[in-house]
Amino acid sequence: MEKNIIIAGFGGQGILLTGTILANAFMLENKNVICCPCYGAEMRGGEVNCEVVVDDESEVCANKSEADIVIALNQLSFEKFITKLKKGGTIIANSSLVKMCKPRSDINYVFAMISEKAKELGDIKTTNMVSLGLLAQIEKLSLDTLQNAVKKVFASKSQKLLNLNFEALKIGSNCAYQS
Amino acid sequence: MQTFSIPKSLKENMIYTFCPGCDHGVAIRLIAELLDEFGLKENALTAASVGCSVFLYNFLDVDCVEAPHGRALACATGIKRAQPDKFVFTYQGDGDFASIGLAESTHAAARGEAITTICINNTLYGMTGGQLGPTTVLNQITTTSPHGRNREYHGFPLKMTEHIALCDGTAFAARVSLDSPAAIIKAKKAIKKAFEVQLKGLGFGFVEILSSCPTNWKMNPVESHKHIREELTKVYPLGTFKDLTEGL
Amino acid sequence: MEKVLLKGNYAIAKAAIKAGCSCYFGYPITPQTEIGEYLSEAMPALGRGYVCAESEVAAINMVMGAVATGVKAMTSSSSCAIGLMQETMSYAASDELPVVLISVMRAGPGLGYIYPAQGDYNQAVTGGGNGDYRTIVLSPSTVQDSIDLTYKAFYLAQKYRNPVILLSDGFLGQMMEPAVLHDYPYDEIDNSSWALTGAKDRGARQIRSLEVNQEKQNAHVYKLFEKYALIEKEEVSYEEENTLDADILLVAFGSMTRNIKAAARKLREKGLKVGTFRPVTLWPFPSKRLLELSETIKNILVVEMNMGQMTKDVKLAVNGNAKVYHFGRPTGKWVNVDEIVQATLNLGGVSYANI
Repeated sequence: MEKNIIIAGFGGQGILLTGTILANAFMLENKNVICCPCYGAEMRGGEVNCEVVVDDESEVCANKSEADIVIALNQLSFEKFITKLKKGGTIIANSSLVKMCKPRSDINYVFAMISEKAKELGDIKTTNMVSLGLLAQIEKLSLDTLQNAVKKVFASKSQKLLNLNFEALKIGSNCAYQS
Repeated sequence: MQTFSIPKSLKENMIYTFCPGCDHGVAIRLIAELLDEFGLKENALTAASVGCSVFLYNFLDVDCVEAPHGRALACATGIKRAQPDKFVFTYQGDGDFASIGLAESTHAAARGEAITTICINNTLYGMTGGQLGPTTVLNQITTTSPHGRNREYHGFPLKMTEHIALCDGTAFAARVSLDSPAAIIKAKKAIKKAFEVQLKGLGFGFVEILSSCPTNWKMNPVESHKHIREELTKVYPLGTFKDLTEGL
Repeated sequence: MEKVLLKGNYAIAKAAIKAGCSCYFGYPITPQTEIGEYLSEAMPALGRGYVCAESEVAAINMVMGAVATGVKAMTSSSSCAIGLMQETMSYAASDELPVVLISVMRAGPGLGYIYPAQGDYNQAVTGGGNGDYRTIVLSPSTVQDSIDLTYKAFYLAQKYRNPVILLSDGFLGQMMEPAVLHDYPYDEIDNSSWALTGAKDRGARQIRSLEVNQEKQNAHVYKLFEKYALIEKEEVSYEEENTLDADILLVAFGSMTRNIKAAARKLREKGLKVGTFRPVTLWPFPSKRLLELSETIKNILVVEMNMGQMTKDVKLAVNGNAKVYHFGRPTGKWVNVDEIVQATLNLGGVSYANI
């Protein structure tokens, strides 16, 4: 079955990096996956989103239509991508920056203070990793695989940075949320 | 005793195809003599241009690829980047170099490509029968300026050597003519410098040659050279405009 | 070898390096700029040639100069700027120069925009240059193809001394997908008989297309067409699935192939006998195979992100044996699987024009 995950937020929130790590994780599990970045002309502060499409069996389509899961790290993304969710889909919202409201009744909501958790960890830049940990919790993804994907993508980075990101993933995977 | 002989870099037994009194023949001979003197024939590659200058490859015994109109210096850049140890040169007309190919010409000079360019300036498009070109001087009659080049209507001609000399990558830029034996000797010295700057890796070498086109100027060869001497040099002064070998 | 997650454009750039591309010349245009950006770092580090050309016109002519000396070289660009290169593609075809051109399609006509599209099928396949000539056109549908077909582009260019276009699109260029960056699998071609190396111990060589003698010009074009006939005999490449019992054939090229395959799976679940067909070489076009398939399959739906450019070639191929329909649009949202399913179900109805 094909599953379409959209990660969206501001430029600078590490959206494309998050998508790349997630796509690497699926690759490590030998799944068919594509990752399609999409961003506006602005390098920072503009709207950025990234679609990761994964399929256990067949080649992934060149489809960019309805999403199964949306991770919205800011209000704009929440409003824009909630309309793209399939019936029964899930939106993971960063309630640190997203107002808690439920405009649709046919989808699942996951509200968590993702930016707060990242701040508590000591680096707000890990917001994206916390959200990925939360996705792992909801979707039952292997945290080990995600860590290996982080290692692959951060190959040239310091152990300290790796540990920080591992910690952020773990926090996300244990993070409480409101549905 | 010095005897007259045909340069080895020229092909043997070629039939001369340029118009009587045209300066292409002398210009090509000078290039051939210098290829001989530097021992470059076997190591030289050229990108031919479009216009009467294309016939260079009928006379020179040098490996050659024919570039589209105006693109000789882009093509030569490709050659030089692929084969940095080769001696790479282009032989172009003013239409090819300064009109359709001005971007390629300017940027090759600005990049300081170690390439030598000899540009024949006869102030019109010769091969197509004498139309107004980028270097046609004011009041000059051509088939597309039948009442003469008009500054309000056609605008001004372009000065190639001055333009190329302004590029930081240019190592040598000079304008010469071939209207007398003395002028030919000077021209050869300039072309020699344009060869040397490439061989020394100093940058782009450029020589503009004011050349006669008796057929399209509707003058005889003697009048043509007189026209260069007395009229064209007023618009296009002869001389060296840039020379990085000075003081070396 | 290990799979790596690679962006389509980077895959092409990395493959070009492994293929032994000595020089890259390019000018920026979205959505292919990553190719030039990647190579601007990698090529000088390897001691190879790289020039940020002043225009696409200059870039393709630099490629022409470089390959004339016997090395492998390429440029990459997109749509409107590929248009600028057509004069030199015609020269290179006539000169029999192994120019490799990477074309990553965006939307047109005119400046269009950076949205992905497939509107440059005609531009690549029938060429925009003057005169009777052909370029080999390879069409990748995955990031792995982008690697494999970049290798093939260099190989075929050398083997046949002919320009080759790799026709990718903005979707494939920008997306990331796991792929294996294996080694260049082809033998090197000896080009010592024609490359410009300096007239040493032999007469000068001229690579030129100017021919003042009519008879010689005629003979030259006939010679080119003998070569084209050989390429058509030897190099046609395509992919087909479930065509044996099919009543309906879905045809697509490039990244759209992925969607017709998924649509075919859904349609099979609904009980329709649907097969898929993808030309890998857009020229030479797999006309012969399509004609064979049209003996048993009477309805063909060509799905492409343009107004029916390949559809015309499919029609020519089947020569009236089957009904050929087009489904697609010029750009915007990539035609998705459900739309293809619906279009297939509507075949023979009035919903989609039989062009």
